Amino acid sequence: MSEWHLDPELFEQYEQGVLNPSRVMAVEAHMSACATCRGRVPVDITWLTGNWSIVFDNIHAPQAGPVQRLLTRVGLPEHRFRLLTATPALRWSWLIATLSVVVLAVIAASLSAVGETGGASRLFLVLAPVLPVVAVSGAYGSGIDPMHEITGTTPSAGPALVLWRAISVIGAATALAGVAGLLLPGPGWYAAAWLLPALLLCTGTLALATAWSLQAAAAALGGLWLTGVSWVLGVRSEVFIPLVFGPIAQFVYLAAAAAAVAVLIRRRRHFDLGESR
Amino acid sequence: MPPVSEQSSDADLLRAIAAGQTAALRLLHHRHAGWLRARLRRRCADPDVVDAAIQDTFVAVWKDAQRYEEERADAAAWLWTIAVRRLVSALRGPAHRWLSSLSGELPDVGTTPSAEELVLLGVEHGALGPALDRLSPELRHLIEATALDGLTVREAAKLLGIPEGTAKTRLMRARSRLRELLT
Repeated sequence: MSEWHLDPELFEQYEQGVLNPSRVMAVEAHMSACATCRGRVPVDITWLTGNWSIVFDNIHAPQAGPVQRLLTRVGLPEHRFRLLTATPALRWSWLIATLSVVVLAVIAASLSAVGETGGASRLFLVLAPVLPVVAVSGAYGSGIDPMHEITGTTPSAGPALVLWRAISVIGAATALAGVAGLLLPGPGWYAAAWLLPALLLCTGTLALATAWSLQAAAAALGGLWLTGVSWVLGVRSEVFIPLVFGPIAQFVYLAAAAAAVAVLIRRRRHFDLGESR
Repeated sequence: MPPVSEQSSDADLLRAIAAGQTAALRLLHHRHAGWLRARLRRRCADPDVVDAAIQDTFVAVWKDAQRYEEERADAAAWLWTIAVRRLVSALRGPAHRWLSSLSGELPDVGTTPSAEELVLLGVEHGALGPALDRLSPELRHLIEATALDGLTVREAAKLLGIPEGTAKTRLMRARSRLRELLT
């Protein structure tokens, strides 16, 4: 086969598709064996450079990290991931949420080591529902996000962006608080008892944010929760846990959260920007 | 790792690529993209799909060049195997695939020429040429995809857009028909 080579005419016929099938196969078999003939294949240099530049861009594109691959597998589109990670302010609120939860867990553990198991659990149950609210309040708004002016002019600003960011920070905060709750001494259901109050406070904050700014709403609801719970703790200390986290209370939280969601859906058009209402 | 040039062999280029030299990938691309394109275009009429398959191929080479074993396969044959498999997966993949979401592994097959391929190299002068010409097109396409392109029967079926079972039967019929024509 080394004596026989493709001549330009034969190759042209090959490209035009006018050869006999057996000769086509012979040309291809020869091409894969003969570097000289491969080199003689005429190439459009414009096409070649264009094709190469795409390869070049692609191998220099940032690689998807393990978190992104996991989220993509779960079904989160790539542009949403970019949207959520491209906000430094958002990362800070995540970080604050993380730190608070870790610190809280440490406090709880150290208190229970001294022998005050009840105190640690109560502190956790009171503070854990507020954590996601703190996270949400840092997710959107002119005072928090340095890019807010620019973000506000994009079509994705408003309800959709607030909700996407809120979901991501609530998810992170809830997961961390959940882990801390499981590590907590006391009855097993303590680890889940704070979830419905947290849901109520988050949806309530978002619903209230259709009228006030997100930060004001978060401060109002978080403050209300803390004041109310502290008041109960002061007045009816002996029945505090069943009163605030018992079945009836949990049902009330769920109903109120549903109401807040309804308000949120109804008033979603008012969810414009975090200022000048 | 010595610097690569136009005169470097394919194996040297692939070693340099495995060491992270973009210049080596560029040389390999410029050396092979042309004939890969010419050959792929005979298997797929859509030039965009062909171009994407070639891009995928070299991105895959960039990621996995260290898996190339010089003594097991010729570099051109190895590249062709990757390219034709990329074309098959591009033909059946979701319509607008992101280039970055490649998940397929490189084929882990030896690409030494098969006995059938060696016979095909001599097709110019033997009795095989006329025999292949007299084979019906759908049988010939299967011989082409399996013997020449080095695809498995399943991949050949995907490339030709027929069920795997049909491909198996046709390949068997093609072989016995060739035997008949050659004796």
